[in-house]
Amino acid sequence: MVRVRLMDVTKEFGSVAAVERVDLEIERGEFFFLLGPSGCGKTTLLRTIAGFYKPERGRVFFDDRDVTDVPPEKRNTGMVFQNYALWPHMTVWQNVEYGLSLRNVTHEERTERIHRALQMVRMEAYRDRSPNQLSGGQQQRVALARALVIEPDVVLLDEPLSNLDARLRLEMREQIQALHRSLGVTMIYVTHDQKEALAMAGRVAVMKAGRVVQSGAPRTLYSQPVNRFVADFIGEINLISGRAVQLGEKIGVETSVGMLYGRPGYDGIRKDDRVLCAIRPEAMDFLEGRPGETDHVVTGTIRNTVYLGETEQYVLDLPDGTQVKLVDRHPLVQKAFPDDRVRIRFAQDAIAILKDDGEDSAS
Amino acid sequence: MKTALLDRYDLNGPRFLFLAGLFAFFLCFLFYPLWYAVVRALWVNGEPSLVFFELMASNPIYIEMILNSFRLGMFTTVATTLLSLPVAFLLVRYDFRGKNVLNGLILVPMVLPPFVGAIGMKQMFARFGSINLLLLELGIIDQPVDWFGGGFAGVVILQVLHLYPIMFLNVAAALANIDPSLEEAARNMGARGFRLFRTVTFPLMLPGYFAGAIIVFIWAFTDLGTPLIFNYRQVVMVEIFNAISDINENPMAYALVVFLLLLTLLFFCLSKLLLGGKRYEMGARGHVGSASRRASTRMTAFIYALMISLTAMALIPHLSVLLTSISERWFMSIWPQEITGKYYPLVYRHPIAGPSVTMSLMLSTLSTICDVVLGIAIAWLLARTRIPGRGALDTVAMLPLALPGPVLAFGYLAGFSGTFLDARHNPVPLLVIAYAVRRLPYMVRSAYAGFQQTSVALEEAARNVGASPLRTTLQITFPLILANLVAGSILCFSFAMLEVSDSLILALKAQYYPITKAIYALMGRIADGPYIASAMGMLGMLLLMLSLFLAGRFLGRRMGELFRA
Repeated sequence: MVRVRLMDVTKEFGSVAAVERVDLEIERGEFFFLLGPSGCGKTTLLRTIAGFYKPERGRVFFDDRDVTDVPPEKRNTGMVFQNYALWPHMTVWQNVEYGLSLRNVTHEERTERIHRALQMVRMEAYRDRSPNQLSGGQQQRVALARALVIEPDVVLLDEPLSNLDARLRLEMREQIQALHRSLGVTMIYVTHDQKEALAMAGRVAVMKAGRVVQSGAPRTLYSQPVNRFVADFIGEINLISGRAVQLGEKIGVETSVGMLYGRPGYDGIRKDDRVLCAIRPEAMDFLEGRPGETDHVVTGTIRNTVYLGETEQYVLDLPDGTQVKLVDRHPLVQKAFPDDRVRIRFAQDAIAILKDDGEDSAS
Repeated sequence: MKTALLDRYDLNGPRFLFLAGLFAFFLCFLFYPLWYAVVRALWVNGEPSLVFFELMASNPIYIEMILNSFRLGMFTTVATTLLSLPVAFLLVRYDFRGKNVLNGLILVPMVLPPFVGAIGMKQMFARFGSINLLLLELGIIDQPVDWFGGGFAGVVILQVLHLYPIMFLNVAAALANIDPSLEEAARNMGARGFRLFRTVTFPLMLPGYFAGAIIVFIWAFTDLGTPLIFNYRQVVMVEIFNAISDINENPMAYALVVFLLLLTLLFFCLSKLLLGGKRYEMGARGHVGSASRRASTRMTAFIYALMISLTAMALIPHLSVLLTSISERWFMSIWPQEITGKYYPLVYRHPIAGPSVTMSLMLSTLSTICDVVLGIAIAWLLARTRIPGRGALDTVAMLPLALPGPVLAFGYLAGFSGTFLDARHNPVPLLVIAYAVRRLPYMVRSAYAGFQQTSVALEEAARNVGASPLRTTLQITFPLILANLVAGSILCFSFAMLEVSDSLILALKAQYYPITKAIYALMGRIADGPYIASAMGMLGMLLLMLSLFLAGRFLGRRMGELFRA
């Protein structure tokens, strides 16, 4: 098990930088996620760690060993490929055995380890099958066993669940998590699925256009996104623009719907800066029959509603034209109908103040 | 710090050396021989001159020759088109029982070099051959009919029967490639029948058809063996062949070779120009599985009848070769007077035939080894690396497919005359190289297809668990593309065994004759020559049939890709 450290890593393809000046430290035994939209450089970064790409600039360390120039076969990483990459001319057993046959392992130990690996992923009954006789989920598990059996210093997973159907994906999530818990090995997992990242990760690095935008625990990313991109990519967010008029532990922002107060999402907010007030849809609710309350309360018109079973979504137009989404999480009855004028309240401590950099959102 | 070049491309020491070697090889054995012919044709007494080309354009003998060759090419191309277009249409658009068998049947005529077939055809269709004698006896005719039209018709017939499979493969592929939804859209607007074909289907398949037509035309234009056997000597190729003996006194042959070269070049430029901007990228396919529909019982019967009669027709040359090879004597009679198997053992004992089999085996083995090594390396570089000049390497490796074989052979003979490679002393090195260069495209294509279908991730997975690059290649990549490699080698080997133009031109001493040259030589002898020649032809045919069958087994449906431009 190793600590993986990336220092100022840049990987270019032609003149395009797929990964740009990335610094990351992944602790021993950590379950670390690289999250981002397609083309953000997350797979490139993973393949750089595996040794398939040599960065144009920067170094890669496994503990204190500089592996930047070490070929992939000498890095002892165990990679699970997106399309599994099981060798079709070998059986399940042979696929798992291959890595061990390249190592100095006695015959008995080899057999014992393959057995254990296949048992771990519940595939020992299929040991003599050839890969194309297996379903996607089964191939996935064999690929996992093949990566784990060599007792790698770090396990690399490249969108391992993206080719599975929704139900199987949930099941495999738990299995991989359980494997991580029992083996305690460092794991780096690439995905574009924010739910996967939130559900499984110890820590997540959100990437955009080759750079790491924010890294931290899932809870931090969700509740304290540093910018609009992260806020938008991880879950849904409402943004109301305004002007910072009051500094301090809470920032007071003057908006067209009234004063809003929130936690600063970035350092160095100055008076009169243009900022965005970010609030999650589930951190708002309808205000019924309490006319006295005015703090963090705005009036809007219902535009449409969507019933999703476990939640009901309401899209509202605020007086200034801003659209916000409100999510009711226990929709026994529909609380408002299109064209209704309603009063809604933003929950205390739920607003984050972000920089209004004019950039497009993630979606 | 590495240089920018090395950073941009996957270039390292060994690859650079290999590329340099490859460059030198192609320079020596592809460009130099052609360049030599060009120089000899255009330099007269140390000065550039067009005197030979003026002669070519003014002398009625040469004009007649060139026109004859053109006629051969045109007639053959038109006839193969008329033959293969409907067949391709039926086989692509209809599903029926035994479709794969019929698809395989199409390829059968290819197993015989046309000039070997010509030997048998002469026996049956000659002035006093079986057919005429039969018709005379039945009283249908009272004068023997000249079936071969002074040789011209004979050459065309044999070429058509030999080449229509190639046309078929190209046309069928083009047809199968058309997105069914494009035709459906036209039908939706109200087009149907011939109008639909003329306005939508045919324009869409035109690039594929053109590619096939060019191959057929060039092959027919530059075929040497068939006109020789039919004694149809007023064609460009035969004139070049005849000039070999007095090459130093008569440089006219160089001019003719350059003419052929220019013609080939012109055709390929023309096709690029006409079709370059018209490569129809077929978009993502709709949800229609395929455009083929089930044939009714009647339709199936019709298709079978058509295919079987067509194949039967195409097999007449083969059949006549078979009959000739087992005839004790067959002269001035409808059927052979007596059947015998004695010529087959003679193949091994005859002073010309016997050694030629050994010689061909040796040449083919050596050239196949060259092809395997070069072909795999080139295909790997093309499929798996970014090296400088990828496009150029691809073009050069494929070039021999387009180049008329006799042109290159002639260039070898002339260009290396007087060097240690001189074919007049010992043609073995040049024959091996000629065979290898001409068949290299098959190997490159087979291997390239293999690399293409094998996901790089499979190799990366091996590297990831600790396999070195070499080990990965040997234990992962090669086993996965083995079928392609085997099929490619089989094709290289079997086509080398029955290679015609290089063998006829380069092998000048009897002791170095390969099989095809031996057959040609034996044909010229009266007594038992043609019978032994036919027996050899039969053996070659069997070999080629077996090889194609095996290659087809390994390659499956992709077999056709090897014969397409």
